[in-house]
Amino acid sequence: MAEQHTMLSLRGLTRRFGGLTAVDAIDLDLAKGELISIIGPNGAGKTTLFNLVTGLDRPDAGHVSFEGQDITGFSPERLAGQGIARTFQLGRVFGNLSVMDNVLIGAHTRLRAVKPAVPVIGPLLELGLALLRPSSVRDEEERLREEVKAILARFGERLLPRIDQPAYSLSYANRRRVEIARALALGPRLLLLDEPTAGMNPTETAEMQGLVAELKAEGLTILLIEHKLEMVMRLSDRVIVMDEGKKIAEGPGEQVRGDPKVIEAYLGHGLSGAAEQESAA
Amino acid sequence: MMSSWLDYTINGLIVGNVYALVAVGLALIFGVSRLINFAQGSIYLVGAYIGWVAVVQLHTPLPLTIIIVAAASALVGLIIERFGLRPLQNSVRIAPLLATIGISFVLDQLVMLTFSPNPRALPSQLPDVRFQVGGGTIGPLDLLIAGVGLTSALLLFVFLRYSKLGWAVRATAQDRDAAMQMGVDVNRVNQAVFGIAAALGGVSGLLVGMYYNQIDTAMSLQATLKGVVAEVVGGAGNVPGAVIGSLLLGLVESYGVAVFGTSYRNLFAFLLLVVVLVLRPNGLFASARQGPPEPLTGTFIAPSRPVRIPRWALLVAAAIFAILPFFPVSFYVLQTMINAWLLGMLALSLTLVAGTIGQVSLGHAALLAIGAYTSALLSLTFSAPVGVAIIGGGLMSAALGTALISPSFRLRGHYVSIATLAIGEIVSLVILNWESVTRGPIGISGIPPLSLFGYELVSPTSIYWFSFIVMVVLALLQARLLGSHLGRSFRAIRDDDIAARAYGLSLNRYKSLAFIFGGFAAGISGGIAAHLYSYINHETFNTQQSILALTVVILGGLGNVVGAIVGAVALVGLPEVFRVAAEYRILIYGIVLLLLVRFRPQGLLGTM
Amino acid sequence: MSNIDRRTLVKGSLAAMMASAAFSRSAFAQSSEPILLGVSGPLTGPNAQYGTQWKQGFDLALDAILADGGINGRKLAYSFEDSQSDPRQSVAIAQKFVSDPRIVLELGDFSSPASMAASPIYQRAGLVQFGFTNSHPDFTKGGDFMWSTSVSQADEQPLLAAYAVKKLGLKKLAVLHLNTDWGRTSRDYFVNAAKEYGAEIAVTEGYIAEERDFRSTLVRVRDSNPDGLILISYYSDGALIARQARQVGLKQVICAASSVYSPKFLELGGEAVEDVHVGTRYFPEDPRPEVQKFIAGFKKKYNGLEPDAFNAYAYDAMNMAAAVVKIGGTDRRAVRDAFMKVKDVPSVIFGAATFDVASRRVKGAMNAELVVRKGQFALWDGKPT
Repeated sequence: MAEQHTMLSLRGLTRRFGGLTAVDAIDLDLAKGELISIIGPNGAGKTTLFNLVTGLDRPDAGHVSFEGQDITGFSPERLAGQGIARTFQLGRVFGNLSVMDNVLIGAHTRLRAVKPAVPVIGPLLELGLALLRPSSVRDEEERLREEVKAILARFGERLLPRIDQPAYSLSYANRRRVEIARALALGPRLLLLDEPTAGMNPTETAEMQGLVAELKAEGLTILLIEHKLEMVMRLSDRVIVMDEGKKIAEGPGEQVRGDPKVIEAYLGHGLSGAAEQESAA
Repeated sequence: MMSSWLDYTINGLIVGNVYALVAVGLALIFGVSRLINFAQGSIYLVGAYIGWVAVVQLHTPLPLTIIIVAAASALVGLIIERFGLRPLQNSVRIAPLLATIGISFVLDQLVMLTFSPNPRALPSQLPDVRFQVGGGTIGPLDLLIAGVGLTSALLLFVFLRYSKLGWAVRATAQDRDAAMQMGVDVNRVNQAVFGIAAALGGVSGLLVGMYYNQIDTAMSLQATLKGVVAEVVGGAGNVPGAVIGSLLLGLVESYGVAVFGTSYRNLFAFLLLVVVLVLRPNGLFASARQGPPEPLTGTFIAPSRPVRIPRWALLVAAAIFAILPFFPVSFYVLQTMINAWLLGMLALSLTLVAGTIGQVSLGHAALLAIGAYTSALLSLTFSAPVGVAIIGGGLMSAALGTALISPSFRLRGHYVSIATLAIGEIVSLVILNWESVTRGPIGISGIPPLSLFGYELVSPTSIYWFSFIVMVVLALLQARLLGSHLGRSFRAIRDDDIAARAYGLSLNRYKSLAFIFGGFAAGISGGIAAHLYSYINHETFNTQQSILALTVVILGGLGNVVGAIVGAVALVGLPEVFRVAAEYRILIYGIVLLLLVRFRPQGLLGTM
Repeated sequence: MSNIDRRTLVKGSLAAMMASAAFSRSAFAQSSEPILLGVSGPLTGPNAQYGTQWKQGFDLALDAILADGGINGRKLAYSFEDSQSDPRQSVAIAQKFVSDPRIVLELGDFSSPASMAASPIYQRAGLVQFGFTNSHPDFTKGGDFMWSTSVSQADEQPLLAAYAVKKLGLKKLAVLHLNTDWGRTSRDYFVNAAKEYGAEIAVTEGYIAEERDFRSTLVRVRDSNPDGLILISYYSDGALIARQARQVGLKQVICAASSVYSPKFLELGGEAVEDVHVGTRYFPEDPRPEVQKFIAGFKKKYNGLEPDAFNAYAYDAMNMAAAVVKIGGTDRRAVRDAFMKVKDVPSVIFGAATFDVASRRVKGAMNAELVVRKGQFALWDGKPT
């Protein structure tokens, strides 16, 4: 894959909390169109790694580059503007917003008519345009709403009938779906999925797996944190195993699966992360 | 002059000592419940009056007085915990904060009804020996207060570190759910903490009352304010930090007086708070870098389905209010409704910033003041037509208010409330001290009456229509704003600012826009008020207004435009209905707030 | 204006007799309904104590008025509306009063923001707003329906300055004042008068009403080396300052404005207020009959409680209102005109009170120079402290 165009590249990425090194000198290269899964026991630093890539947290050392540009320390809003979208481990939908509004927020970075790129007075123009709503703004909003419906249609009848319901009233699985829909609405060039199937039953998991496979087939570049190994093996081009902040194995799924270090990491912690995740959900 | 600096230092430490007594109790409660207990000052008040009864009527000796006060105050604390706060455990995070505000109203008012508002002397029971220190003297009470402050901080430290219950308290503070799973009886921990904090608060009221030989019902709010400042400066929830924060606050105030004069004292106290909040939001003594906090999604605001009011019903209601002056209603009713419309504009503003974008402001009256002063000065100094001056007031309030509040944009939850409270106080103190512009305490008189296109609006009927139309226009604009992409962006930031940022929403940009829009509405309300009253000074727009506005917004439903107006009409109207029970009005108000938080936290019309 | 001496006292009581003889009786139709006055003032909120004190003063005055047969046979009563001294509420109360035909006159509000916000309403409706505690210089400029018996600070402060500078011989003064419209206005009048009498102002310090701690302020005062401290304070803050001044070792003469004149000042200040000088408008041993009647009546009605300045203001105000209504009857405009006619009404504060029609205030407040001796207010004997 190395000969292909590199989308995301991490070099020596490190993050410490007090005495604990949550992410320890991680290197990673993700090529365009590739799907890499990150697995590892709980507390291995997977979510912290996502936070570092998406700007929610700053590394103590190391670099992140995206499409050749060094983006280390960029704010999350700026990274969203560059086309990086993510979902959250704990399912962070906007509880009081309707499904439609949640997904429309995903398209926020693509608003143009209502958000003129004018320095200094840009925000005031945005306020004025939001109140006046000339036809360009109305058209844009209408177009995005249609797009949202198309995205929601990818989840079959799961979300469309609930399009006007507040997100807090949705089932756990549906909230995960809303999160993914929201990420898709950003029109991402890089998608980071943090345990998209957590708390889902086998049918729902299979559906989700199908969707991720579809996205991959459409050429989307994806970084996936997932505990369900079955799904990881099916979808991943490569798998990275993390333990105690370090990358302990990397390679095609089957190869990683047999790696003694990986087995030890899971067994050494007594619990399989996947098992714990299931019971927590 | 060196000796004077020594004196300023000693005086700063002495008064810091006094603050520490309240701050330690606040820190303890915050440590466990993540709650800023606005009722702590009221417990301090209750302690002072129980002490007065013991000393003056029962003639108890000091040790017994302290025990009585500690026990009685602890009991009050336990009652507050059991009946005021425990039912709110699974409620939204804003609920307990509001409940403590309601509890403080109730307690203060009960004390006032029982003991009358007259100040009373609370004689010290210690021998009146004085020791020369620097240029001044200190007495045994200074030492006792310092002793109680330090000993209680030390005891708490030992208790938290080494006792089983203390361990449970710390475990609960770190992770409530985990502690519960590990078998910690969280309710018992909360009880213990409230009991201890209340005992400490009561004893501090007693000692401070003796220190000044004076207790009165106004001491409650001041104690809470200074205690909160000291606690947050030291790092909320950090007991030793609260003591150090208190001493620091005392010193800053004392040096502020030394350099700039007495009238700048509180200005320095609140500036210290804002600076600390902006530079080190976790307090001076928190560890420098903590992991990113994991806010719970959508729990600050109650999830609810807003009541849908059909458009025709709104039109009918608006039409009825529009033709109200044609009915035989008294000018008194019209004036009351004018007050409701003015408060409604303020509530529209606050419901946008507190409800829609989740910045619960406790200093919103400052925006009224900015609008009122700007409009008054524009019309008096520059002879601007009143209509133009009021719009000028709205614009100034939008611009200046947003600029002042912007340093707190990076804060979350209760810290926003504390910061806005401080900013509100700062605005009021700047108005008091900036005499060349604001005429200081003398205020501005002779503000021309409302007029439009050369016609003076002086009859209650015309003022009624004017303020009603302005409010309706502002409400329609706000409804239109909420229907745009900005409405959903604001609400997304409120529900989960981390997720919102991850989707490209800049917090600074959208919080600014919310404050600009909200500041305009509040400034218009202040501007109209200035021309209506003809006289304003620094006391016209005070903290009570801010708290009233917040209650209106919560009553109506956070972020709910119609709710803000309904809430304003209710909270202007109800006290007028209860006029017969004048002395009981604040009591009733407090109880209504408590019941509301308990049984309908989403407000009458629901959160939008 | 002048010290209380035998001549003023005689003049005062004579005037009182003349005034009562001049009361008009014709203006009243017989009615069993009481004549109603509106009172707008604080009964709750931060200034609640002052509203309570007003009530005591009003009730005492009304008892005597009723005992004397009321206003030509009709009872005089008041309707007290709690404004919390909040302008929003005082304007609503104003509308309530002006549209209630039974109300012939309004008393209050307590604070200037609350009173002056309501003034335009009273002025337009033509109901007298009798702001008896409103010393703000602009209050009576609100219109010809604004009247006040609040001692003008332009009158009071020169008296205090004369006491401090001329009588006590203080040459270098530190002025501490409440930073409100009242305190600020008072300070300016005091400073002008004191300078005129040849004193130097070493420092002035304004403090907010909620302040409790004055130690650092007093270090500033000490560093300015004054030979006297002037307190433009209310009794509670005045007592705090006096206590802390002694604690930080300031032994200078303290001279306070009449607003500290209250038994509470002695109670709260304790030993620290010993030898504090107070310029007041009356004092307990004042032989003037209106003073003796007031103090004796007050103690009798309120279980031995000593009256204070705010009780006296309210008592005087109610008596003045009665005198005005006796002349003006129940017509509001006639009541306004009666303020111009009423003459030499017996008054604790003014001796015999007559309005100056141009300023709509009463001039010539009495002056008593007191000092705290053995925990009691006593007439100053001229001895230095």
